[in-house]
Amino acid sequence: MIVLFPVDHFLIMTLYAFLASAFFALLWRRERRERWKLFATLMVSLVLGGLAVAWLMYPFPK
Amino acid sequence: MSAEATAVSVSRPPLAAAALAWVFPGLGHFYLGRRRLGIAFAAIVTATFLLGILFQGRLYSIEPGQPLTILATFAVYGAGLLNIVARMISENAGGTILSPTYEYGCAFLLTAGLMNLLLVLDAWDIASGTKP
Repeated sequence: MIVLFPVDHFLIMTLYAFLASAFFALLWRRERRERWKLFATLMVSLVLGGLAVAWLMYPFPK
Repeated sequence: MSAEATAVSVSRPPLAAAALAWVFPGLGHFYLGRRRLGIAFAAIVTATFLLGILFQGRLYSIEPGQPLTILATFAVYGAGLLNIVARMISENAGGTILSPTYEYGCAFLLTAGLMNLLLVLDAWDIASGTKP
């Protein structure tokens, strides 16, 4: 498994964000343009939100 | 407006659409005539579920004394046949807790099941005319 998928937290988070964004863009919007807009908004929010939370947690010890 | 957006859904019984949506992701939408959307949903939910398996996540079962496993089991069973087949063929349904990707795997599996439950509700709404 590790050979197929390197354990990269950012990669996995981005993959998750991509799938969730695509799903909700298709579910919640009907027009193509609106779908792309929601997809981009969700994708950027999830990735940047995840990075922000990770940055805030950085000072805490394991 | 896309061709999918202007497409008129085929009139079908809501219960059948919802049941098919649960059996396999996107099948309910396909049944309702929204074929491209059904295929897209099938691809997304199946990919999420398979990544969960690949990341060695856990296919939850209810455990006595662990009430949260009831919710997790409900979520994972939302994936329909994917979950059932995975349980049948997997030698490691409980996941690999020591794997560095175990938590990610669980999140992907739970998300896939919950996505499919949303598709069940969506198919019901489309078939009953609540959603255009």
